Amino acid sequence: MAENGFRLLPGDDESWRLEAYLRRGGYDTARKVLTSMAPADVVAEVRKAFLRGRGGAGFPAGVKWGFVPQGGAVPKYLCVNADEAEPGTFKDRLVLLRAPHQLLEGILITAFAVGIRTAFVYVRGEYARVAWRLEEAIAEARSAGYIGPHVFGTDFRLDVAVHQGAGAYICGEETALLESLEGRRGQPRVRPPFPAVVGLFRSPTVINNVETIATVPQILARGANWFLGRGLPKDGGTRLYCVSGAVRRPGAYELPAGTPLREIIEVHAGGPPEGRSIKAVIPGGLSAPLLTPGEIDVPMDVESLARAGSMLGSAGIIVIPDGTAMLDVLLVTARFYAHESCGKCTPCRIGTSWILKIVGRIRSAGGSPADLDLILRLADGIRGKALCPLGEGAAMPIQALITKFRDELERAVAR
Amino acid sequence: MNGKNPVGLTIDGLKVQAAEGTNILRAAEQAGIDIPHFCYHPGLEVEGSCRMCLVEIEGLPKLELACSTVVRERMVVRTATDRVREARKDVLEFLLAEHPLDCPICDKAGECYLQDYYDRHGLYASRMVEPRERRDKKVPIGRGLLLDRERCVLCTRCIRFLQQVTRTGELGMFERAVHSEVGIFDATPVDNNYSGNLVDVCPVGAITSEDFRFKTRAWFLARRPSVCPHCSRGCAVVVESVTNYPLAKGERRVYRVTARENPSVNGFWICDLGRDGRHDVDDGRHCAVMKNGVPIKGLSWQKAVADVAASIRAVSSPERAGRITVVLNSRLTCEELALAKGLLVTGLGLDQVFFADQKPGSADSLLLTADRTPNGKGVLEAGFSPRLPGLDELAAARVLLVFGTHLLDHFGEGEIARALAAVPSKYLFAAHTGPLDRLVDEVLPVAVPAEKSGTYINVEGLRQSFVRALRPPDEAAPEGAILSCLASSLGVSLGDADAR
Repeated sequence: MAENGFRLLPGDDESWRLEAYLRRGGYDTARKVLTSMAPADVVAEVRKAFLRGRGGAGFPAGVKWGFVPQGGAVPKYLCVNADEAEPGTFKDRLVLLRAPHQLLEGILITAFAVGIRTAFVYVRGEYARVAWRLEEAIAEARSAGYIGPHVFGTDFRLDVAVHQGAGAYICGEETALLESLEGRRGQPRVRPPFPAVVGLFRSPTVINNVETIATVPQILARGANWFLGRGLPKDGGTRLYCVSGAVRRPGAYELPAGTPLREIIEVHAGGPPEGRSIKAVIPGGLSAPLLTPGEIDVPMDVESLARAGSMLGSAGIIVIPDGTAMLDVLLVTARFYAHESCGKCTPCRIGTSWILKIVGRIRSAGGSPADLDLILRLADGIRGKALCPLGEGAAMPIQALITKFRDELERAVAR
Repeated sequence: MNGKNPVGLTIDGLKVQAAEGTNILRAAEQAGIDIPHFCYHPGLEVEGSCRMCLVEIEGLPKLELACSTVVRERMVVRTATDRVREARKDVLEFLLAEHPLDCPICDKAGECYLQDYYDRHGLYASRMVEPRERRDKKVPIGRGLLLDRERCVLCTRCIRFLQQVTRTGELGMFERAVHSEVGIFDATPVDNNYSGNLVDVCPVGAITSEDFRFKTRAWFLARRPSVCPHCSRGCAVVVESVTNYPLAKGERRVYRVTARENPSVNGFWICDLGRDGRHDVDDGRHCAVMKNGVPIKGLSWQKAVADVAASIRAVSSPERAGRITVVLNSRLTCEELALAKGLLVTGLGLDQVFFADQKPGSADSLLLTADRTPNGKGVLEAGFSPRLPGLDELAAARVLLVFGTHLLDHFGEGEIARALAAVPSKYLFAAHTGPLDRLVDEVLPVAVPAEKSGTYINVEGLRQSFVRALRPPDEAAPEGAILSCLASSLGVSLGDADAR
């Protein structure tokens, strides 16, 4: 793990309070930034650090911030996406539980850099305890003068509000999050316009993942070059890899961008339990096409995973052991997306449901290779046509699963 | 181009000019290229959810929505490539997979987007063998509207119409994923004066109206443009009638009145009052000349006009000005009003020319005006100073000609009967039967506005000419024809005012 002394996550659950955070040097960076830097220089530093979004799309945060029009009378907003719902992903929950002030410090710096006075943290509905802890941390920061009308005694004003979702996967999609935050049905908006220009309450809005924002203070503390040195030239810093499934030590591992997937699984997470072997690995949350054991010698960064025909996504690694019926994996995958499709756009609404119906039928009553072909064809019908990236995210893993485990699936459905 | 800069682009090899800010779908439409769509409606904000209007734009890797992409200078758009057609087929196949295909009993058949696009894209074999979702097929949502959730393609046009146009928001989307459905909130059904537009905006047969449901087939209907006469807005309408199809006994002529696009008056909508105007055309019409309360079969309106002329001639010239009394109305067209002016005021020199109209109602903030007559401005333009007659003024007449039945809006039937008892000769010119029929010597059937050609001047002063959308029944004639005939019977030359 990050042995050079700068970690996003403290090792235990008890050091989340302001007092403990201050002992670790907390809020020093924000104070330095707010009192001695120009906002544009902050944006430039983050852009130089090539901080890719940790939510799934991997878009560089500094570039995103640069899209927000400066000046003008309308307010600008920051929305922190804590609607962590991608299966296999639990890093944001850990950040919020163990280092909520780290996130708040990141919010301060981001808000200062972009000219924002109001920030919202949209917390997944199921994360009730997480939301309470964040509320407590905000109260601590407010009484210490780190949030409020005069942050660090300066003229900079910032309000932070916590909003809890109601349990929809789709609300992790940034525009659906905005709709939900505005009090409407959580469904994505058609783009353009992009949220950076027309976002929350039709105002320019920055939306970033919890881990992304919580990583910002490191960059301003040590500089972009230091940050790049801890990752890759086009994917800076360390990140939190969540490992779950058939490993000895499931958990979140803070490692440099580009750490090989095999090393994360076998060295850090301890590999599969005694006597078990790896059958497949989902590298970046359920939406990322799975990899076979022969494909896991891949560096875990945005570009390498894309080259490997998958995606880094939320870096939620799910290890599937031998003996797992891939038809079952297909079923739970299809069921998840059919259940979580918001229903707004035609391809995702009906495509995911149709696929689930086929998988359900061939699993209970058997089927033919033509059924698998039809599923592939339907998944292709969703791809490139859905309104938001979640349609793509539903189709890709299903296609990969059928393509890579075709023989097994054909045998499984033949009666 | 609405004063905006024109943008030059190419669509399917065609050089196209469109106003700045226009979307590709609209620009293509203006160039005669139809891009299939369900959720897009020019009168509503872009939703982008049906995914049917995907097109290829040169330089962009993915297919883009024609509804949400605004035209740019030198943009090259392709709407008919294999890739685009395949994408449309995919989207259509999804929609059809969960569609009940009950076209034979669907009111929308023949004018259904889903049916048309299916036909155009040749999707003749379904790959859907799984059980379809079963949904409610007859949900009353208010104002005589029924929602069929199996036919619904979730375009949300209805929801958006109620949010963005009427701002009443009675409909919403409920549930999620394939279970998503349109519905009303608790027990608060659709209840606004523009509810009928929901049937117009529905691209499929999901929202139908009890008034039209199962009554006829769309392809039997002749669609003719007209102008709505039910308030002073003058909305553009389409009168949809069965004309050349053999009518069974008691069958309607006009099956519905729908909205016609007119950006300078009503946009894309009409109110329910105007839509219900179909009753005005078909219900309770006079079809034959009536004498002493009895319809006379075979008596032509021209013969009846001869009786009117005889009654007028019986009044000596010096008495005419004060003793021949005429009641007109603001439903007459500008041309008819000019004839009335030429015959009655200029020709016969009458002093006693009055107006009786429907009383004003309440206006709404959208289209409906308080003035429920279509041509109040036309009356003024023709040089009349409209005034309601007093009962004594009616009673003093020797010959009384009443156009329309709206005296009843202002006086009790008994009062009118007493006033008219003393009048020696009295004629009613009316489209609809009513209590006045018994109080006059003769009733001459007249046409309703949809059966006329003419001009109305609306509340904003806009002159709108329209042509006859359907034939008047049997012995009914437009007031203009009656006035012209009367003028020639009386030897009054109308000169330029004679519209014939």
